[in-house]
Amino acid sequence: MYNLSAIEIREQFLRGERSALSIARYYLERIARFEAQIGAFLEVHDKQLLSRAEQLDQKRHTHQPLGKLAAIPIAIKDNILVKGEITTCGSKCLAHYRAPYQSTVVNLLLAEDAMIIGKTNMDEFAMGSSTEHSAFQKTYNPWNLTCTPGGSSGGSAAAVAARFCPVALGSDTGGSVRLPGAFCGVVGFKPTYGRISRYGLVAYASSLDQIGPLATCTADAALLMEVIGRHCDKDSTSLPEEPEEYLNHFKHSIEGMKIGVPWQFLEGLADEPRQRFEEAIEKMKQQGADLLEVDLSVLKYAIAVYYILATAEASTNLARFDGIRYGHRSPRAKTLDEVYDFSKEEGFGPEVKRRIMLGTFVLSAGYQDAYYRKAQKVRTLILESYKQAFNQCDLIASPVSPFAAFEIGSIQDPVQMYLEDIYTVSVNLAGLPAISLPNCLTKEGKPLGLQLMGAQKQDRLVLNAAHVLEKIFPFHKAVPPLVDQEATL
Amino acid sequence: MATLDKETLKQLTRLCRIECTEEEQEALLKDLKKILDYVEQLQEMDTENVPPCHQVLENRANVMREDVIGEVLDRESFLGNTPHIGGMIRIPPVIKHKGKYV
Repeated sequence: MYNLSAIEIREQFLRGERSALSIARYYLERIARFEAQIGAFLEVHDKQLLSRAEQLDQKRHTHQPLGKLAAIPIAIKDNILVKGEITTCGSKCLAHYRAPYQSTVVNLLLAEDAMIIGKTNMDEFAMGSSTEHSAFQKTYNPWNLTCTPGGSSGGSAAAVAARFCPVALGSDTGGSVRLPGAFCGVVGFKPTYGRISRYGLVAYASSLDQIGPLATCTADAALLMEVIGRHCDKDSTSLPEEPEEYLNHFKHSIEGMKIGVPWQFLEGLADEPRQRFEEAIEKMKQQGADLLEVDLSVLKYAIAVYYILATAEASTNLARFDGIRYGHRSPRAKTLDEVYDFSKEEGFGPEVKRRIMLGTFVLSAGYQDAYYRKAQKVRTLILESYKQAFNQCDLIASPVSPFAAFEIGSIQDPVQMYLEDIYTVSVNLAGLPAISLPNCLTKEGKPLGLQLMGAQKQDRLVLNAAHVLEKIFPFHKAVPPLVDQEATL
Repeated sequence: MATLDKETLKQLTRLCRIECTEEEQEALLKDLKKILDYVEQLQEMDTENVPPCHQVLENRANVMREDVIGEVLDRESFLGNTPHIGGMIRIPPVIKHKGKYV
């Protein structure tokens, strides 16, 4: 059953072949069997899941209409609010924070009869590329337990890869859905900025943050997008568009599609990832796509721009965790000033402190023009470069990361860790939709992903092309050997 | 270009109100210098006459709404996340009288 897609699970439930309760129990059993090795979840909502499943079974028995996500178990990254449940953001600061309201995405999922299975591990406040910055636990890559799952949505990606649930939500500020998607061999989609409401997503860098689905196949990611890709009045950056239909409009071919490749930008790529990327390009050509080179040389500055703008926004956004209205309050604090100073010191981990300090620095008097303003200007140039490129082509292809999943603890230098996101951050800077599609396995048996990017609002085109390619890529539907077995065996 | 020294770092910790131990400051200083060295490359770019990007989506201006009360959090679930007393958030005393907090 673990090989079933979310769409297939729903169909079986609707046909009465499986009850929601049996589906819920099946996945809880898998979690009980494998989770100790993976560490994907910060909290499994087993009781809530079972009672929700009973409600759904009741609904079906009494012939009430059932939603587009009926009986589909879904995991939620722990920076997305589920009302009444703990939302930690992977931080000690929010270890006991209980969400007093519901995020828009969770509202939409529940309205379509999805079942929430639990909250997943992440880098603290989504700051990281390996999930190693979680204050609570490590998450291990189901393909290779010595490796990280990528980050920051590493828990969600590992949960889907381990088939603890068919789909999950993550959030992507600089690659945080796509990188773990690639490292764990699952589909990760980052929609156009504003496509999904950020209401109830704990803010890291508001001009870049976007929630996105992780799934075992593109059709499931598209299904989730149909449900959560809606305008929301509670998010002033939400796109004022009608929700898009994806699945019924998918074309079965990419023939004639123009796909750009920024070869110059990919010069530093190592041999194996380069060869595998070229093979993927060759497959696209065989499918009738027209490949051409696009000039995106400005992207070599993307990481620098990102780490100035994202940290500046983070230093503003995270100022709210001052220990007064929510979050950790230091027991040492005797005065109001000490509440601020000590609560943050005790609540935040080193990477979060590093980024807040950097953000405070680039915004401070005397440095703002040289750093923050400069980065905003280069962001304009990045946007323009993409615009020009999309005048020549429909989609742009690149690898998701310079290499496959790395060993836990192997990257200590922050700049080297930041460079993991070299191919993903510019997409956020330009507000584009992009997908990370599992392409193949390396000689060592680790997944490698292909990234497809579209112009703003071309979410459907991106998902459609990935939908065609996933069937012909060598990775197709591969499951990590460790979890490629029934839990009851 | 950046002159990030111990003194500047101290000032930063005051600005963002995060207390740091001496040891933490050492590590932070080292890492921040490295990151600033890396982002220094932006200075090569000619950005004369380039406007700063304030909004990634095209044709989006400020989004306004009517100034009316919408959904509000109920006091009980809000206060559940913080020390409270008599339906209000509790904080250490802030008013001094004759040099002592009252």
